[in-house]
Amino acid sequence: MKYETVIGLEVHIELATESKIFCSCSAKFGGEQNDHVCPACAGMPGMLPIVNKRVVDLGMTAGMMLNCHINRTTTFDKKSYYYPDLPNAYQTTQWFAPVAVNGTVEIETSKGKKNVRIKQIHMEEDAGKLVHDDWTNTTLVDFNRTSVPLIEIVSQPDLSSAEEVVAYLERLRSLLRFAKVSDCRMEQGSMRCDVNLSVRPEGSDKLGIRTEMKNMNSISAITRAIEYEVARHIDAIENGTEELVQETRRWDDVKGKSYAMRNKETAGDYRYFPDPNVMPVVIDDEWYDGIKATLPEFPEVKRARYIDQLGLGEYDADQLVESRAFCDCFEEAYAVCGNAKEVANYLISDCMNLLNKKQMTVDMLTLEGKSLGELINLVTEGKVSRPNAKKILAVMFENDINPAEYAEKEGFIVSNDTGKIEKVIAEAIASDPKAVADFKGGKEKALMALFGKCMKELKGNCDPQTLREMLIDAVNKQ
Amino acid sequence: MDIATLKRLEKLNQLALTEEQEKAFLEFFSKKEKEAEALSEIDTENVERMVHVMPIMTVVREDKEIKNFTRDELQQSAPETTDGYWQVPRLVE
Repeated sequence: MKYETVIGLEVHIELATESKIFCSCSAKFGGEQNDHVCPACAGMPGMLPIVNKRVVDLGMTAGMMLNCHINRTTTFDKKSYYYPDLPNAYQTTQWFAPVAVNGTVEIETSKGKKNVRIKQIHMEEDAGKLVHDDWTNTTLVDFNRTSVPLIEIVSQPDLSSAEEVVAYLERLRSLLRFAKVSDCRMEQGSMRCDVNLSVRPEGSDKLGIRTEMKNMNSISAITRAIEYEVARHIDAIENGTEELVQETRRWDDVKGKSYAMRNKETAGDYRYFPDPNVMPVVIDDEWYDGIKATLPEFPEVKRARYIDQLGLGEYDADQLVESRAFCDCFEEAYAVCGNAKEVANYLISDCMNLLNKKQMTVDMLTLEGKSLGELINLVTEGKVSRPNAKKILAVMFENDINPAEYAEKEGFIVSNDTGKIEKVIAEAIASDPKAVADFKGGKEKALMALFGKCMKELKGNCDPQTLREMLIDAVNKQ
Repeated sequence: MDIATLKRLEKLNQLALTEEQEKAFLEFFSKKEKEAEALSEIDTENVERMVHVMPIMTVVREDKEIKNFTRDELQQSAPETTDGYWQVPRLVE
């Protein structure tokens, strides 16, 4: 019998905010244990939550990027929870009126394009970190991550393979990074994924028994986990190897197996009820329109524009739209120098190399597009040589400098002083009569030795074509 | 409300009730259930969901980091701490 797989995803995204969702503590990753904590996020009695506006901004932005309807009155609810990493004994989340509902995301796989429906996006607080201490047989609690703002994006069960799941996650990541909602870094936990999966005979309209795998945090692990679970489900149905039950499972990526989580409490109902401590958030027209106006062009729209209007090749355009930071820098630099191909080259090869050397991701690019445009102008006007432009770019990565002023100060401006060039050529010729003789005897390569000497002496500040012509002229006169 | 449902609620709320308490709760819940059922007689078709009893909305704050408390101040009332962690009975065996 042939089977089909039905998958729905719950994706948690940590929002790019400075402070937590209901208090002013730092939302930064890491830090000394319990250093980003106050009485509110430590769950002390009598503390009241105050909503961070930026969280609602980003929740709305995510909703708009995923074509959702925005609930203009959105409310927070309590979800019962009994672990000490949320000290209130509930999680403040959204159940009855989440910020965004009914969206769609278009994905593309080897089988073509497909729309994945989004059920809802809700805003909520993250839980803290628990460390189990074997020595004292106790649990140690760190509240730094408690109340760090999250959105959870819940899809409908519209996905049917690991390939589609990967395409969906990559699309979400691209859209949300573009809109600066989150850096979506799975390895740091700012994007995490719960996979709900069931298997049924092809063509059947009845859903099979569903299992859930929680907190998957790498795309390759998700792929392996899905493939394993599908095989396990089919094996159970066909061969009766085990009885499938609705449960939460843990994926062990090292062993390549999933295990039932022993603690069945996760199967409990959460008894959501409206949180009386947070009043409804009402999004008026001014707020809604303000967010709408900040939405970026979609990556594929940018890509098409770069190719059709700015004449970039497909490869260059694909590389640029990987990152909003690259696109912003590209567009600013292009506005200054008007040379799309040059800007793309500098970003894709030189800037990428510099980022790699520093082990930074493309989104961490802070280079001023305006300065890059000015540097490219210096190069195309022949005022700075390409090798020297690379040196200046490396400095621009570290410091906010004006490339023209820096080139002047460091002696990187190409010399138009022909007297100086003639003097350097004369010295080079005098120091290497053999190269002169070889060149005159027909060995074209011999000129390179002389050329190199001159360039070195001029510190690269000379138009190579001019130097070459003057050098040939001088050698021939010997 | 039957005993199985009550047992489930006990488990979810991490409570251990005595038989006497269970009997009392069953009676209490059965009465409350009947009262709640009376509400279903009201026609709520086309009635907008009430999001809050008072016609008020929340205030929001700007996204700005402020540190008002030190860890030591916060942990003054903690029964147990270790290396800056709150220390609690072990959760997972």
